[in-house]
Amino acid sequence: MTDVVIAAYRRSPFHFAGKGELVKLRPDEMAAQVARALVAEAGVDPATIEDVVVGCAFPEGEQGLNLAKIVAFIAGLPESVAGVTVNRFCGSSMQSAHQAAGAIRMGAGEAFLCAGVESMSRVPMMGFNPMPHPGLAESYPQAYIAMGETAENVARRHQVTRKDQEAFAAESHRRAAAAQAEGKLAAEIVPVTVDGRQVAEDGCIRPDTTPEALAALKPAFRQDGTVTAGTSSPLTDGAAALLVCSADYAKRHGLTPLAKVRSIAVAGCAPEVMGMGPVDASRKALARAGITVRDLDVVELNEAFASQALACMRELGLEEETVNRDGGAIALGHPLGATGARILGKAAQILQREGGRYALATQCIGGGQGIATVLEAV
Amino acid sequence: MAAPAGIASGSAAAVPRIGKVGVLGAGVMGAGIAAHCANAGVPVVLLDIVPGGAARAVQAMLRAEPAPFMHRGAARLVQAGDLETGLGLLADCDWIIEAIVERLDAKRALHARLAEVRKPGSILSSNTSTIPLEALMEGADAGLAADFLITHFFNPPRYMRLLELVAGPATCAGAVAAVTDFADRALGKTVIRCKDRPGFIANRIGGLWMQSAINHAFDLHLTIEEADAVMGAPLGVPKTGVFGLLDLVGLDLVPQVAASMKAALPASDPYVLGMRDHPLIARLIAEGRTGRKGGRGGFYTRVTDAGGNSLKHAIDLRTGEDRPSEKPSLESLELGARDLRRLVEHPDRGGRYARAVLLDTLGYAAALVPKIAEDVASVDAAMRLGYNWKWGPFELLDRLGAAWLAEALRAEGRPVPPLLERLGEGSFYRTQGGRVLALHANGAYREVPRPEGVLLLSEVKRQGAPLAGNGSASLWDIGDGVACLEFHTRMNALDPDVVDLMGKAAAMGGKGAFKALVIHNEGENFSVGANIGLALFAANIAAWGEIERMVEAGQKALRALRYAPFPVVGAPSGMALGGGCEVLLHCDAVQAHAETYMGLVEAGLGLIPGWGGCASMLRRWAEAPGAPKGPMPPVAKAFEMISTARVAKSAFEAREMLLLRPTDRITMNRDRLLAEAKARALSLAEGYQPPKPAPLRLPGATGRAALRLAVQQQAALGRATPHDAVVCDHLATALTGGRRDHTEETAEEEVLRLERQSFMALLKMPATLARIEHMLETGRPLRN
Repeated sequence: MTDVVIAAYRRSPFHFAGKGELVKLRPDEMAAQVARALVAEAGVDPATIEDVVVGCAFPEGEQGLNLAKIVAFIAGLPESVAGVTVNRFCGSSMQSAHQAAGAIRMGAGEAFLCAGVESMSRVPMMGFNPMPHPGLAESYPQAYIAMGETAENVARRHQVTRKDQEAFAAESHRRAAAAQAEGKLAAEIVPVTVDGRQVAEDGCIRPDTTPEALAALKPAFRQDGTVTAGTSSPLTDGAAALLVCSADYAKRHGLTPLAKVRSIAVAGCAPEVMGMGPVDASRKALARAGITVRDLDVVELNEAFASQALACMRELGLEEETVNRDGGAIALGHPLGATGARILGKAAQILQREGGRYALATQCIGGGQGIATVLEAV
Repeated sequence: MAAPAGIASGSAAAVPRIGKVGVLGAGVMGAGIAAHCANAGVPVVLLDIVPGGAARAVQAMLRAEPAPFMHRGAARLVQAGDLETGLGLLADCDWIIEAIVERLDAKRALHARLAEVRKPGSILSSNTSTIPLEALMEGADAGLAADFLITHFFNPPRYMRLLELVAGPATCAGAVAAVTDFADRALGKTVIRCKDRPGFIANRIGGLWMQSAINHAFDLHLTIEEADAVMGAPLGVPKTGVFGLLDLVGLDLVPQVAASMKAALPASDPYVLGMRDHPLIARLIAEGRTGRKGGRGGFYTRVTDAGGNSLKHAIDLRTGEDRPSEKPSLESLELGARDLRRLVEHPDRGGRYARAVLLDTLGYAAALVPKIAEDVASVDAAMRLGYNWKWGPFELLDRLGAAWLAEALRAEGRPVPPLLERLGEGSFYRTQGGRVLALHANGAYREVPRPEGVLLLSEVKRQGAPLAGNGSASLWDIGDGVACLEFHTRMNALDPDVVDLMGKAAAMGGKGAFKALVIHNEGENFSVGANIGLALFAANIAAWGEIERMVEAGQKALRALRYAPFPVVGAPSGMALGGGCEVLLHCDAVQAHAETYMGLVEAGLGLIPGWGGCASMLRRWAEAPGAPKGPMPPVAKAFEMISTARVAKSAFEAREMLLLRPTDRITMNRDRLLAEAKARALSLAEGYQPPKPAPLRLPGATGRAALRLAVQQQAALGRATPHDAVVCDHLATALTGGRRDHTEETAEEEVLRLERQSFMALLKMPATLARIEHMLETGRPLRN
């Protein structure tokens, strides 16, 4: 059976929604600019791509109308390339890669452009027309629970103090700032053009953040809560893309894979503590890979909130040094649909850059689930 | 086309258009003037001597309360710069206003420097409050003298309607006309021409009044509460009286104003003669207790007791000690509350105090005509608009009797001003054939002049009887086939009689009694909404049927006006809240005074809009160009505004909130409001087609579920109280159409039925009644 590899990873700079540099950039255009750059740099014939698989958490408005095919058009891919938009909320673009991996193993295609995008400036979280099922909202309100509320629940149930959350958030900024200064982020960023202007750097990182500064913030979701805007990932605009293909394809096209996909998993959990989703998903994926946490050299665990990231790390027994070495979503930002591709690409990139054998990329997902991927060095 | 310099001098023919303004000095006055010019939609250059000072002043003004800007967008019209390096920015300014430090040498030096950058024919004015024009122009060249005048704004420039204008003998008429017209129409000011005398009109008389009120309070051993109470309501002075006013403007201003007036006035002037140093005031200033702005209080202070309660303390003028504030109790105050003569003739200290201050102030004012102004009406207008007095000195004298004052002055061996001598038993104002005439300095009575385009309802009302009316509202003929519906209840609260007359007006207009209707009044507020005292009373006796009929009658009357065969134009100023806002939402057009504060505030009282406010906002958002499509955005937008009881802080903000439509217009000068509304009504009357009722598309239960989720998040944050959540649920029901589904159309009547149903359900709840009671008692919302 052929191996599935991640052959390339690129992303746009990430910027605050509503006030950052990407506010005026349409999400379809943003994703297309990244996709075009990825294909061009890989140097593969675009006609060999089976499908464009684009993850997006709120696929409506400018993110609607089967965004993936629109992105394929804008990126100038040939008409023979198909397109599908995938929604698993925050796990959307990791799901893109999973679908591609499954298809490759099925012999249903060799190369897939797996991308993700979210303009939280241009399409609001919850969408323009939130219309929950009134009966479910009544009988099972946690189905629609607000994300901040889940972060508070996790903090309380797993006794993650405000101080711990703030230390974690400050460290995330420190690592991201260091990675930025060392040019480790520039290596993955595709400069994008907004209104004729180039934007080449991330906009969310605050290198001067300290636990003391964070301690001054008011709770953002619950009056007596511990979670603040500073210990949550910000609303962000951004796009990311991966080239997922068979090992044979990579070899034939002279590509150097970053890593191979060893196993994948999703798992549901209680919606009111959706932040714990990575625990079961990761355990499943590790078991399927036949390894344990101790075998992991690199971990990318999405920081939706410091509280859930810390609780998951404790629950899984992850080492702080191995998790999010270049900083996480609290510092970099979390454009919902794009994050999965980013952390999967990042895990593969670090594995290649720093050495080691196994990497885990995992995320929590609103509504109560987790998604995880185990990568192995090539 | 610009006239060559010099030709325009002395001629009224060339009136330069003011399209850009420069302001020099970004202190409180300069920055405030710049902000207000920007409010008028005019680009402004603001320069300050301190590098970066102007930019900081603009930023500070965006956070200040009361806001100098009418909306945030206005701030973008202000270009900030430095005085030393940025004078070149003034090159294309038509009017340059200098508002730098009150020092003759500094002002003259700056005026001279402007010659190099100022474009020919541009106007330069100084915002000096005390320096005469003659002194500023000493040795100035003819070009500068022709373009120069004094424009004295009052603080805060956005809100105070007075502008004192002094022109010199060489000032060209075109410059005066241009500034007068711009100040009137664009800035909304009443321009009062003053003579070139120190302190002009308002500060000359107002300053002496303050000085007199302070001196006599010390001499007659009044408490400061007593002094403020006597000066307040009986004299028509704002309730801060004199000591409260000093706390408001800053105690440190007292010696500053005294020093500048002393320097400018002859030593024999009663103002100078009355100047005294009060050690207590000097002590307070030295201690940094300069009033509210310093946060340490002044004459009044706020202290927190052991139980954490905030208590008001007042200083004792004799001992200098602070003590708990006491409500004054004087017989003169009770007996003289409505009768000024009884007050000043009362023998207690309150009466003696009122008498002493009024003798000084009114005697001084009478002696200053014609020295500071040609007519008494200008003086009265200046005091009303510059000091917010209800009556100017000559209006007070008419209430008191000019002969009484002359006699009282004589009895004390004080000189009687010639104006009073000449008047004898007469009065300063007369009504003749419905027109008000005022005494001119030459002894003749003349009609108080009104600029062209000013129509005042009060003057219409003097001309005859209303077309229809009752105790709460009247319908007036304002000419050219246009009628004006006036509310005249306390605070213009809407009661069944107002509703009744609205219905009657719709019927009369339907029969052709007039071709257009304007809804307008000259009250401080257009309307504060339904009479909640009446509603509370009805609720307390469980007259539910009565209340529901009243809600329904209001809906019917407003719909009758909306779909009537004639246009209806709302012309509000001040607050237009709750039902008052709903009246405007039903008009074909609104001509709003810029200082209009609209809002659907019912949620603050535990209610929801019941007179079509919900339906109106749903329609406005559904029809708003550029708004996201689908069943939820209009609902979410209307819900956000109504559930938070948000009030627009200007007509411009009301436009952003869709309480005003893009087609609605804004008038800066309140005196021009009625005339402009009438003109709008007449233009709409031509070929008028009433709007047709159109159904809405509402999401029903799913929308309500979505709104409920949003409210839960606000509750978790402590931003929504338990009763807020209940009110929000009812509001959500009305806004989402109850059981309707977005695949079907919902008739407007259905939303009105839901409004009524929710309104009644909420009114029966103790928590809502508690909110209403609390509002009536304290004037503040209860957060239960």
